[in-house]
Amino acid sequence: MKKLSRLLAVVLAITLLLSMSGCGASDGKTHLTFQIWDVAQRDGMQAICDAYTEQHPDVVIEVQVTSWSEYWTKLEAAAESNTMPDIFWMHTDQILYYSDFGMLADVTDLYDDVDPNFYPEHYSEISLSNASGSNGRLYGVPKDKDNIVLVYNKEMFDAAGVSYPDETWTWDDLTSASQQIYDKTGKYGYMAYCDEQLGYWNFVYQAGGYILNEDGTASGYALPASADAIKFYVGLQQYDWCPTQTYFAETSPGTAFFSEIGAMFFEGNWNLLAELNNYPDMVGKWDIAVLPKCPNPASGDGRATISNGLCYATAARGKNLEVVKDVLRFFGSEEGQRIQGLSGAAIPAYLGLEETWSTVFETFDYMLDVQVCYDQFDYCVQYVNNASRPKWKSTVSDELLKIYSGEVDIEEGLAYMQQVADTASAPK
Amino acid sequence: MTATTTKTVRRPNARRLSRAARTERNWALIMVAPTILGLLILNVWPFLQTIYASFCNHLGFGYYEFTGLDNYINMFKSADFWKATWNTVYFCILTVPIGVFLALLVAILLNSKVKFKSGFRTVFFLPMVCAPAAVTMVWRWIFNSEYGILNQILGTHINWITNPNVAMISCAIVAIWSAIGYDAVLLLSGLQNISKSYYEAASLDGASKVTQFFHITLPMVSPTLFVVLIMRLMASLKVYDLIYMMVEDTNPALTSVQSLIYLFYRESFVAGNRGYGSAIAVWTVLLIGIVTVVQFIGQKKWVNYDV
Repeated sequence: MKKLSRLLAVVLAITLLLSMSGCGASDGKTHLTFQIWDVAQRDGMQAICDAYTEQHPDVVIEVQVTSWSEYWTKLEAAAESNTMPDIFWMHTDQILYYSDFGMLADVTDLYDDVDPNFYPEHYSEISLSNASGSNGRLYGVPKDKDNIVLVYNKEMFDAAGVSYPDETWTWDDLTSASQQIYDKTGKYGYMAYCDEQLGYWNFVYQAGGYILNEDGTASGYALPASADAIKFYVGLQQYDWCPTQTYFAETSPGTAFFSEIGAMFFEGNWNLLAELNNYPDMVGKWDIAVLPKCPNPASGDGRATISNGLCYATAARGKNLEVVKDVLRFFGSEEGQRIQGLSGAAIPAYLGLEETWSTVFETFDYMLDVQVCYDQFDYCVQYVNNASRPKWKSTVSDELLKIYSGEVDIEEGLAYMQQVADTASAPK
Repeated sequence: MTATTTKTVRRPNARRLSRAARTERNWALIMVAPTILGLLILNVWPFLQTIYASFCNHLGFGYYEFTGLDNYINMFKSADFWKATWNTVYFCILTVPIGVFLALLVAILLNSKVKFKSGFRTVFFLPMVCAPAAVTMVWRWIFNSEYGILNQILGTHINWITNPNVAMISCAIVAIWSAIGYDAVLLLSGLQNISKSYYEAASLDGASKVTQFFHITLPMVSPTLFVVLIMRLMASLKVYDLIYMMVEDTNPALTSVQSLIYLFYRESFVAGNRGYGSAIAVWTVLLIGIVTVVQFIGQKKWVNYDV
């Protein structure tokens, strides 16, 4: 009996040792981890890593995917215990929080020995701004850029005898087309759901209003232009041709669209490729167009689309900082960005390489009009953000939901949203 | 007199244990050490930290700044907080009495002479084996107002999970459904401990089935019933995963079903206000504590420990 238990202990100890040794690198190479949240971009990211490791055989990079909902909880815990992944995607929502706390490595000087003007020459102001901390330094290498497009069902437009959306469309065309489609086919028209980046933000900026002022110190929810745009957007759910927010809480507009229940919705262009892949039967039945413009903007020409971009970041106190910086240098180079574009992962942030992203769309039987995504960069608006946004974001969106459900009057609600965002954003 | 004699006899024993007894005591300590350590590291220490954090403002990445009672003051002033407290209590009112009653009913049926008894037991226990997330996903489809099977069968158009007045009831239905099997199995074990001779004697004396239930079954099963009640109430006060899965943050019914722990999650992990979130957690612990104390006092009136 005693012998048996001793034997058992030895076996256990050996397995433990074996499993521990599995964690450490014993092949003399530098092992890096690369954390992302979008499973659809895994292959594209892997392709960039492969291109790098081919040139640097002493480096191994492992791409890890964590779902968006868990990503930030995990990353924050990792940051606290100084065990962050070597490379990770950083989102505009979070970059100020992480960089202001000194969690991210400053990569402003990354290309100084190549070309001190590398960043401004190859990246747009918006891309760089999305990758900057509050102090104006760069804490990430720009990865991609996106904007919001109008997705529409061609068959429903044909059935209703309405011409397809184009750059002449205004909000009025959006509503009248929706009405006609609803009358003729019984399908929903434009599905306007409660969302900021994919929803009312676009309308606010088209109308000449704003969510946050230029330096992010005050909000503009209650400005007449913003308020009118939000009222228009929220009011769309009063029409028979638009489902209500209770509907959207159960069925996302994307699901409704690809189940051929509704004719139009706003979508981020980063989802288009996945939608072509996930709904093969729908290929050819739908296309994309620029966002309709505001017919009577308070200022500007009525055009706007929210543009965001991710960046590649690394921890300030990372163990392999020098190697990682070299990898990042490659990720931000023309070659790294070209591979990203050609893989279809996302539109490269690198200026002049945008259209490499089209390649993957050409492989489908029907080619989406992806040119509209590039055209829209001419008037895109930077994703709304400031350092305190994590603090006011959920309060503001809860209030908007109360407006949707009729619990709160829209004027009162907007005033409250303005007050919450202002208080949190005011310089201290 | 006897008490003092036993004391004088026992004392030397207590001080100087025999070798065998000492080894046994050491082994006992070694055996419980992993559990105790786990409890201290994973439960007690975080709990103390939570209490400390509730008096602080979380600056970010684990840095706290002491702010005294600010979090509690803000919390007690917040309408969302009181709403969440009420939602939690309301959830308990909806789930605990009905759930435990149904579980008792199921247990009694399973304890009687029915065919396929073990088959029924398996079926009733099945929800307990399924992952709560999977259970909720399926229920969400059942409840879907447009395409869900429930509205199809009833021929109604009820917004089960988006109508603020109905959403909580829908959550309660799922909670009761998920818990019934587990509670019933516990109660069943209590029922099976009741000696048959009581019933035989009662029927000889001409007691009806109903009288037998109220005068034999209920008092005899009351200790188990008490345990089930306490456990169900605690679980209901801590409800989170079910509501989180059922009601997303784009749902207009969110504030009507948001429980305390859901609010805690959103404050701590979505908005990053871990200090404020900790205050909510401490409040929830207090609430559970009070309810449990009340139950323990109340049990003296109805729980029967004499066999």
